[in-house]
Amino acid sequence: MLSGARVSIFLASRAILRGGKVGTLLNILIIAMVFTNMILLSAIIGGAVNLFHDQTIDYVTSDIVIRPERDERTLFHVDELLDRVNRVPRAARASARYSIGGTLSHEGSMVSIPITAFNPRDEIEVTKIHEHIVEGDFLSPADDGILLGQFVAGHEDPGLDFFESLGGVRVGDSVEVMFANGVLKTYRVKGIYSTKSYQADYMAFISWEEMDAVLGTRNTEATEVLVRAQSGEDLDLVKLRLLQFGVQERVETWNEAMTQVIADSMETFSIIDKISLAVSLIIAIVVIGIVFTIKTINQRHQIGIQKAIGISNRIIIGSYVAQVLFIWLFGSLAGMVVVNLLLLYFSANPLEFPDGDVVPVFEMATMLENAGWLAGASALAGFLPAWRITRENTLDAMRG
Amino acid sequence: MIEVTDLQKTYRMGDVLVHALNGVSVTIAKGDFIGITGASGSGKSTLLHMIGLLDLPTSGSVTISGEDVTALPDYQRTLFRLEWLGYVFQEYALMHDLTAFENVALPMMARGVSEDGIRDRVLHMLDQVGLRARADHLPKELSGGEQQRVAVARGLVNDPEILIADEPCANLDSENSKAVLDLFAEINRERGQTVLMVSHEEWHLPYFDRVIRLSDGKIVEG
Repeated sequence: MLSGARVSIFLASRAILRGGKVGTLLNILIIAMVFTNMILLSAIIGGAVNLFHDQTIDYVTSDIVIRPERDERTLFHVDELLDRVNRVPRAARASARYSIGGTLSHEGSMVSIPITAFNPRDEIEVTKIHEHIVEGDFLSPADDGILLGQFVAGHEDPGLDFFESLGGVRVGDSVEVMFANGVLKTYRVKGIYSTKSYQADYMAFISWEEMDAVLGTRNTEATEVLVRAQSGEDLDLVKLRLLQFGVQERVETWNEAMTQVIADSMETFSIIDKISLAVSLIIAIVVIGIVFTIKTINQRHQIGIQKAIGISNRIIIGSYVAQVLFIWLFGSLAGMVVVNLLLLYFSANPLEFPDGDVVPVFEMATMLENAGWLAGASALAGFLPAWRITRENTLDAMRG
Repeated sequence: MIEVTDLQKTYRMGDVLVHALNGVSVTIAKGDFIGITGASGSGKSTLLHMIGLLDLPTSGSVTISGEDVTALPDYQRTLFRLEWLGYVFQEYALMHDLTAFENVALPMMARGVSEDGIRDRVLHMLDQVGLRARADHLPKELSGGEQQRVAVARGLVNDPEILIADEPCANLDSENSKAVLDLFAEINRERGQTVLMVSHEEWHLPYFDRVIRLSDGKIVEG
């Protein structure tokens, strides 16, 4: 077995060293490009997924979100809940949100969305919306203004808007809000933010005290409580601690709390990634297969000689598989160099997507996994043509 | 040692059946230097290919040292060729990516011989064919005569029981042809190896212990 492998490698090394250099280099280039293709799309998808995750954490759920049980609409005694959560070790800060349906209108444009109240001092500790103010200011405690997401504020040219918008309201403009409880109020736009997250930028916020005024009572309920964990903490552990500290409500990490739409999107990305991988592997098999079919046909005579002098089919096939694995090795290494150059480039110049800047994620584990798949595909592409020729009658093969 | 029984080989060429061998039976003793002759198309190469396990007969059998080699599966025939037979072909049949040394070494490598063992034996064989100084040359850097001598060294390197040579002198001048024949005669005499050689040259005949003459796929002499 080992001596057979030794002869296969010997024959392969001589074929590569003394065979056509241009052909070998072209094959290496093909593998490098196929490898880059396999990694690049996967990396872009990984970057887009990361962006989704980051946006979910930074603007929508924070690290952990506490929501009412499914048969309840709100969390009760929210002050007690906040006190309890803020005492939990490894939980950095909690912020309560209370949402109520509302219709915003401005100069004939109308948008119906939930209007959410929060305490700005808490909110800036658990989300990063305040870091993305593009016009005006973030809300301050007891603020009587309204904070709008970019998609809600919209543009004067409706063609620039993804959703129904207020047609380009600016800071200082007045916006009328009809709340679901029938209260009608007019707010001055305090600030407009743009996170590029479809979810976050289609929201409107008011202060907790302003919501009290809308409800006509001091509000002690919340529709959700966002919890920021201390940096680097295991979120499952923090969630466990919250439960241990007597939080009775539905506690979910950001990952668990992702909406079904986003979870489905992730699944779709994963399917696209797998299809792309399969297509890349098929391309690799076909291209290398064609190259090695031509090579083995051209070398039928030589294969016939090898068979005639007693070299087994296993050794002959092994020599072609070894050749193709050599090409795979150098092709994959070249591909890794290309991928790392792309990484440097995209780190400095992220891909601009409508929902944010995507920096492709090149993970070594993914690269090694894909290199492994490519090795299998290459070996198959080298094996099949050699196997076909070695099955021929020795004399027929020798006649070329 | 070699027993050929009622060997038939029929090829189909379009609608026509060609009987390359038509009931050939012959026994060859160990250590014989056999010449197989006949006109072109008489079936001499076909007979050699059957005995050399390079092709299978339509019917009949070839028995070598009591083993019916025509009944062996493909991989065992390959192994049998490696361990029992040495070949020298008319067109040299060298691996063009391998040097003279590597070409000669290849059958030994396939048998799993150690590197030191290979080196000593290959250099000895190249010495015997007068090509030690050309050991590192590729076939394209050698003359026809030199290539054939490399092929002879390769055919003998595993010290085979049977050497099979299909018109090994066809592309050689008389001086090189004589050198090859002298070498065959020497190994036949000194090591007792059986040599089967196809030839159509009358001046080769004195080298052979016995001549098998074929005509239209049948043995007419020997």
